[in-house]
Amino acid sequence: MSNVLRPYLAAVRSTLTAALTLENFSSQVVERHNKPEVEVGGSKEVLLNPLIISRNENERVLIEPSINSIRVSIKIKQADEIERILCHKFTRFMMQRAENFIVLRRKPVPGYDISFLITNTHSETMLKHKIVDFIIQFMEDVDKEISEMKLSLNARARIVAEQYLTAIAT
Amino acid sequence: MPQLAPIICDNGTGYSKIGFAGNSDPSFVFPTAISTRGSATQSSRAPAVPSKPGNLASKRGVEDLDFFIGDEALANAKTPGYGVHYPIRHGMIDNWDHMERYWEQVIFKYLRAEPEDHYFLLVRSFTFDLIITPLNCVQTEPPLNPPENREQTAEIFFESFNIKGLYIAVQAVLALAASWSSPKVTDRTLTGTVIDSGDGVTHVIPCAEGYVIGSAIKHIPIAGRDITQFVLNLLRERGETAAIPPEDQLKIAGKVKENFSYVCQDIVKEFRKYDVEPYTYFQRYEGEHSVTGRQYSIDVGYERFLAPEIFFNPEIYSSDFLTPLPDIVDDVIQQSPIDVRRGLYKNIVLSGGSTMFQHFGNRLKRDLKHLVDRRLDASALASGSALRSSGVEVDVISHKRQRYAVWFGGSLLADLPEFYSSCHTKAQYDEIGPSICRRYQIFGSATQ
Amino acid sequence: MILLESHNVIIKTTLADKINKPSSLDVSFVDYDGVRFRLSTPERKTALLLSMQIRCWDELVRYGALDVLRREYGSLLKDQAEGEYNVSMEIDLEQVPAGAEDREAFIDSIALFKRNALAAPFELAFKTQKELEEANAGQGDLMQIHYRDEEAIYVQAANDRVTVIFSTIFSDETDRIFGKVFLQEFVDARRLPAIQNAPQVLYSNRDPPLEIRHLNLQKSEDIGYVTFVLFPRHFSNPAVAATTISQVQLFRDYLHYHIKCSKAYMHSRMRHRAAEFQKVLNRAKQENTSAEKKTVRFVASFI
Repeated sequence: MSNVLRPYLAAVRSTLTAALTLENFSSQVVERHNKPEVEVGGSKEVLLNPLIISRNENERVLIEPSINSIRVSIKIKQADEIERILCHKFTRFMMQRAENFIVLRRKPVPGYDISFLITNTHSETMLKHKIVDFIIQFMEDVDKEISEMKLSLNARARIVAEQYLTAIAT
Repeated sequence: MPQLAPIICDNGTGYSKIGFAGNSDPSFVFPTAISTRGSATQSSRAPAVPSKPGNLASKRGVEDLDFFIGDEALANAKTPGYGVHYPIRHGMIDNWDHMERYWEQVIFKYLRAEPEDHYFLLVRSFTFDLIITPLNCVQTEPPLNPPENREQTAEIFFESFNIKGLYIAVQAVLALAASWSSPKVTDRTLTGTVIDSGDGVTHVIPCAEGYVIGSAIKHIPIAGRDITQFVLNLLRERGETAAIPPEDQLKIAGKVKENFSYVCQDIVKEFRKYDVEPYTYFQRYEGEHSVTGRQYSIDVGYERFLAPEIFFNPEIYSSDFLTPLPDIVDDVIQQSPIDVRRGLYKNIVLSGGSTMFQHFGNRLKRDLKHLVDRRLDASALASGSALRSSGVEVDVISHKRQRYAVWFGGSLLADLPEFYSSCHTKAQYDEIGPSICRRYQIFGSATQ
Repeated sequence: MILLESHNVIIKTTLADKINKPSSLDVSFVDYDGVRFRLSTPERKTALLLSMQIRCWDELVRYGALDVLRREYGSLLKDQAEGEYNVSMEIDLEQVPAGAEDREAFIDSIALFKRNALAAPFELAFKTQKELEEANAGQGDLMQIHYRDEEAIYVQAANDRVTVIFSTIFSDETDRIFGKVFLQEFVDARRLPAIQNAPQVLYSNRDPPLEIRHLNLQKSEDIGYVTFVLFPRHFSNPAVAATTISQVQLFRDYLHYHIKCSKAYMHSRMRHRAAEFQKVLNRAKQENTSAEKKTVRFVASFI
């Protein structure tokens, strides 16, 4: 892990840990309903101040806490066209399987690539610090995976081109 | 310019049937097997490409292109460094990585089709997951194959291969459609009972207007493999196998089954016929030793009509499964909703290699008719003969394309102009995503 | 499988099968670039009729496809093509060479039906180049082969080279980006010492190369042009020329095949990575402390 990345992730980790203080909270509008307030956004008093942690202009995390839920949105580094499409493919692939990744949101918040929604049910049934671990691990690995995919695409393209031209040259 | 023919892909647990719509037979029938570098013992869940982070990973080139499928996969099984995998287990895709690469080679090496120019019809098999979820009562569409399976298939076909359109069809419905080729069939209906018997299992599947009645499906553990084994047992008992080299015995039994067997109408009479005139009924099979080339011949006798008899009198072969096929079919139909039962009796369709015996259809029809009539008589009697039923029509449809009926049904349906409008297109996929596959549209039936 | 093969597998397997065991037959199938085939036995079981339809047949005929096919297949080629197809040949299964090797060669040559038809413009260009070289001047005619709806091959001979230009278009965004990466590598690959002898490859996006600029092709961001510059060393020897033609005509299919394979590979990677993430997340799940059953299970025991 590079030295620039470490403080960034550490900041996200401590913010998330601090923000993950969720409690059960019934809807103020509909009786016997219980909705993630950060998604409904109806009553201001149960929402807390959202905050953005930026590593640079291309990479940032938006954390939106509320009384019973918290939404984490990640903007993944995309240096060029290839990384953009790979990132898009990968996040789409993950969100397609959101059912398995309980805390994953099916659609990202506008302006971000992928979002997680953690509700009080999650924080009650699952280990809180492990959820944070998961998100940090995700942030860490996703960059690595995308740059690796890009490298392998290039390597592949090179072999493919070489093979083809060798077939003609000989 | 006319549109290029849609591609029909029926990937079964054992064999894949692949070809173009409009043809009467698949262009390729080969095992659903893939041989890749790395040993077969490696657990199938392991990724095809170990993606260890680090620079080394990116240096790896195109090893994932180094594989064979189908017959070539089995031929290469012995090559050091290759291991054979079967990506489909019990009718469900078990290893998506292997399946995706399998399709890759099917399209580019065998069919030589540019997937962007073609529509695809895939066959959804459902043999196993049904056993997992047996409690799906009558729904418009029972979740036989979990929707995620279909979605992942769509993801592969639309995202990796950019195909033009996709239709995921239900096996039994295609078998019904295949029966339209029979001259006996006058109205193209998608209501009927399908008896699908391949190598491993036999299924009896009721279908109402294109939808499978999942709660009534029954499976019979007797199929092609058992018949072959039974023939072999009979040959052994008579001592015919002495002449056959041991390693060929099962193969020879299979040949005897395919070439000499038929279904008789009365087993006792048939025995007597053979005993009175053995010379007209006993036949000879000429074989050649596969290694030494030595000629040999064996007598083929009672097994000619006894082999398929295990469907009708399973007790002659098995000690734990004893219900004859006609009883099972009757049960299945009786468990279906009452308003479709007539249609189910009237249109019993055969599919798969093990239903190809001569007179199989006639015998099934006779036995089933017998069961139905007996029940009608009993109920007439119970009502004090005051009410008489007008009778139930029972008919079993045999046709020429039974062996690859499912594939052929796909080929017929995909040749209809309605096919294109029933497909999920690439544009729809891009807009809505893989969940479009949860929608299933039937078409082609004349009764709609 | 890295390189694509030139022969059609269906023709090959069906022929081999029917030579051993003739039976009546009627199948239609396809090959790359919208080529359609039909293999049937209209008259008797031993007379196979193989018909082919190619989109750009008229252009190919203009560049001598019939001569090439006649040279390859001689009397097998029928004068009249079957309806809605462009060209037909009749294979009499009784006249097939007897020796195992000859027979295989015969089947192989028939399986190359499409390849041979599409080889005509290239052969013509190679011939023109020789003539121009002797005359030491000028340029041959620009040959256009519209082999797909939106894409075409342009072949032109000059006194020292033959230029082959492919126009490429990608319908899908991902394909376009992947395609760019691949094409860039094609351009760069020649720097390697091992393949210095390979043809020079150029790639231009949007603007057509000089050779075809006068055609006033529609300009768009999606269209790219790939130019292969073939030098006499790539086609002076007939055997080398044959492989060059086989490979070059499959260029587009090769490119698209590998784009698709890379996407399949990405899928494998993503599946693996998603499974890894799943494991990490599963660690967060608490051990199932078997919750006490709230509903009372009543067990009847009066019997």
